[in-house]
Amino acid sequence: MDMKPVMMSIVVLIPFLTGILIPLLPFKKRGQMMVFLETMMVINSLLVFAILTNPPAEQFALVRFTGDLTLSFKIDGMSKVFGGLVAALWPFATLYSFEYMKHEEREKTFFLFYTVTYGVTLGIAFAEDMVTMYFFYELLTLVTVPLVMHTMTREAVLASRKYLYYSLGGAAFGFIGMVFIIVYGVSPDFVPGGSLDPALIGDRINVLLLVYVLAFFGFGVKAAVCPFNSWLPDAGVAPTPVTALLHAVAVVKAGAFAIIRLTYYCFGIDFLRGTWAQYVVMTAVIFTIVYGCSRAVKETHIKRRLAFSTISNLSYILFGVTIMTPLGLVGALCHLVFHAVMKICSFFCAGAVMYKTGRSYVHQLDGFGRRMPWVFGIFTVSSLGLMGVPGLAGFISKWNLAQAAVASDNPLAFAGVGALLISALLTAIYMLTIVIRAFFPAKDFDYDSIKDVEDPNWYMLLPLCVFAVFIVIFGLCSTPLVDFFRTIAKEMGSL
Amino acid sequence: MKETFSIMIPILIPILTGLFLLANPAVKKRSVLLGIVSAGLIVTAMSVFAVILGDGDSFTLFYLTKTLPVYFKIDGIGRLFVTVVTVVWLAAGFFSFVYMKHEENEKRYFGFYLITYGVLIALDFSGNIITFYMFYELMTLLSMPLVLHTRSREAVMAGLKYLFYSFCGAYMVLFGIYFLNRFANTLSFTAGGVLNQELIGGREPFLLFVVFLMILGFGVKAGMFPLHGWLPTAHPVAPAPASAALSGIIVKGGVLGIIRTVFYLFGADFIRDTWVQTLWLSLTLFTVFMGSMLAFREKVLKKRLAYSTVSQVSYILFGLAVLNPAAMEGALLHVIAHAFVKCTLFLCAGAIIFQTGKTRVDELRGVGKQMPILLWCYTIVSLALIGIPPTGGFLSKWYLAAGALDSGIPFFGWFGPVVLLVSALLTAGYLLPITVNGFLPGSDFDYEHLEKREPSMCMILPVLILTVLAVAVGTFPAPVLSFLTDVIGKLV
Repeated sequence: MDMKPVMMSIVVLIPFLTGILIPLLPFKKRGQMMVFLETMMVINSLLVFAILTNPPAEQFALVRFTGDLTLSFKIDGMSKVFGGLVAALWPFATLYSFEYMKHEEREKTFFLFYTVTYGVTLGIAFAEDMVTMYFFYELLTLVTVPLVMHTMTREAVLASRKYLYYSLGGAAFGFIGMVFIIVYGVSPDFVPGGSLDPALIGDRINVLLLVYVLAFFGFGVKAAVCPFNSWLPDAGVAPTPVTALLHAVAVVKAGAFAIIRLTYYCFGIDFLRGTWAQYVVMTAVIFTIVYGCSRAVKETHIKRRLAFSTISNLSYILFGVTIMTPLGLVGALCHLVFHAVMKICSFFCAGAVMYKTGRSYVHQLDGFGRRMPWVFGIFTVSSLGLMGVPGLAGFISKWNLAQAAVASDNPLAFAGVGALLISALLTAIYMLTIVIRAFFPAKDFDYDSIKDVEDPNWYMLLPLCVFAVFIVIFGLCSTPLVDFFRTIAKEMGSL
Repeated sequence: MKETFSIMIPILIPILTGLFLLANPAVKKRSVLLGIVSAGLIVTAMSVFAVILGDGDSFTLFYLTKTLPVYFKIDGIGRLFVTVVTVVWLAAGFFSFVYMKHEENEKRYFGFYLITYGVLIALDFSGNIITFYMFYELMTLLSMPLVLHTRSREAVMAGLKYLFYSFCGAYMVLFGIYFLNRFANTLSFTAGGVLNQELIGGREPFLLFVVFLMILGFGVKAGMFPLHGWLPTAHPVAPAPASAALSGIIVKGGVLGIIRTVFYLFGADFIRDTWVQTLWLSLTLFTVFMGSMLAFREKVLKKRLAYSTVSQVSYILFGLAVLNPAAMEGALLHVIAHAFVKCTLFLCAGAIIFQTGKTRVDELRGVGKQMPILLWCYTIVSLALIGIPPTGGFLSKWYLAAGALDSGIPFFGWFGPVVLLVSALLTAGYLLPITVNGFLPGSDFDYEHLEKREPSMCMILPVLILTVLAVAVGTFPAPVLSFLTDVIGKLV
């Protein structure tokens, strides 16, 4: 039985209401709030999955401005991927935050915005057209700024200001793209393969290509494309649940998601492929892949190191997008999902270390492997996954990306494959140095000096274990998921 | 040929035994530990021989993606390599029983030693390049704890260097695999190559670049210039039996990779008479010479042996690069000979360190008076490495030179054998002084304080067996040669 269309707006609104209720309801104990919040998150995620498996056939218009301009939801393949990913991760991340936020101040404010973000992200996933997506995209910036600012240190305030300016500036360029799509498109809705109307364009091809490049970099700000990446490592001052879920998955992948919509559902790959616009964006992306990794190697703060790693990995996704073939989309979607699991896993490990021991620099981690065997065991799995060792998730997504690049016969994409592998080597360097330090400290290392270090409790470990298991499962039997991505990509043309 | 699970047994036994050791805190007594390890080694070795004496079974474990099976198959090259691996791994393993007595974390050492053994067997049985690549990466990761076992700062740095060089090579290979997948009919190893001419359609120059990159990538493990730098750093810092295993066997993983790439994926004809062959030949010859020179200059015995590995493995690669049957026969013979010889040499070095604590060549005066059996073994295998008849090294070098002279390749046809000869002289120059000073310490030597220090049976026996084998390969080569001819016949 198909769900009613109105359900789409309900799952977007539940997190809003839950979030607003948190400071309003008179919870006697912290435990009550935890149960309430976790229950709502699980219910919402279950509802999301119910909707995604039985998607309503019609769209649902939330608000109607004028004529064609509406805020409306509709579920297609892409919504399923992004919505499903977010819904799967959010309850686990919430569970983890309970423990992590125990000692932080203004917990309720934190959970308010944290929860609202869930709804906003789902809004982006379910958006039927550019206008709706743009609306929720701006909203996402606004509701996540307080999360970055949470600690209220001078550093945090500066970081959130930077984040705000970057994001709003980027969205402005996205706005230009939106206007052109509406003016030159056959419909404002997302159409697989592109909605531009050749008759309307006439000889203004170069103008539209320029607009595409502008909009690409506009949305690319959230996806941290070089040269607009510097907000992401700075935003790492936020509490770890924010860095892990928002700055490795929800927010940054909303940027990648928007670019996929822009490229595959608005401008259309047939229009873009082989033009100078493709070469411009692909060059930027390839550069970012290598740049992010190189900076990660230099960085000694764990979270900043992982943030630079995210910058590089986001560009893997965008590399798949800029190949501009249906296969490229398959690779991009693979990495969108797999990287989310791997990176949230490694961030949560870093967070567990910071929470339990207060140490946050790589050189302070000597010998931790024996004291925190679970955390560092799982961190090793996620490191190997990010490097792309066969049998783990990262290998599958890199394989799909590389296959798409090789099949595209584009020399620049061949260079991109080289960049992927250089980046894999750098990934090995910046991840395994941590692992080796933790498991093989120097001979005369005194284990008594880290007596206080131990594994966290199950709130923190459960999400970690689940993610680690998924890294392995995705690596060993990715076929069902990849087949699903292929059906989405088939709408753009033959594979 | 049939699909049968039995092929997995020799792979799984050592891996599971190793994991059991690593994960089980209950194993505390040394005798229990050694009991489990020896049982694991022996049972694995027996199952290896049971499997390879069968008629070439295959087994598909699972599919990574629809088109990427993890697939095992036993063929001639696999049989050759797995036999060498087993002999060396057992010898070095039993040697460690005594050697590791004074080291910490014995359990971790033996755990990873067993797991690496299983991974190596899997590597030799791999039936397609993806499976091969998977176990190649695992081999790197799991042998790393052996390198940094002592956890001195030097060892940890060497372990990292080993890791990053190896990954650098592995990713070059992966680059090649990505492209191969597009232009080949299948990724399964097939004698003569798998390239599909229709799909290639004029992209030969690019594919030549790809194959060169793959050779260079696998060449990292084989210590080929320009990415040989990790080898002389990483091999000597490991405990001696691990150095023996690394230098005798792990480097051969790179050799096997190159054989699979050139002869089973691209096909020898694809690179014959191209710039790839020329450049490859030059690199190997340069490495042969450079390795010998550096070994000649080195004063620490284990480092000297590591440089010797750099040089000797490139003999093998030179033989492969000539791309004709005789040279390839020489190369494969040298795989066997070098594995046995280098393992023995490192075990001798280890025994000397264990008994006397001496590591530098100039400290070894009179060592032959202290441990004559050991130094005799050292001398005999040194002669084998130099290439004195009737040892294995003579036969392999004979075939290498004959193959090169016979190949008709301009310049390298005669220049190659000359370099090999010069390097053989250098080999004599860096190995034999230890014998000479060991047995004939000179008249001013203090004979008064000399005491017999022959190591225990458990150390001497593996060394003796390997020495006998290294000689026997050259003295009774008929069965080996007929086996090799059979394998090579399908390839070149």
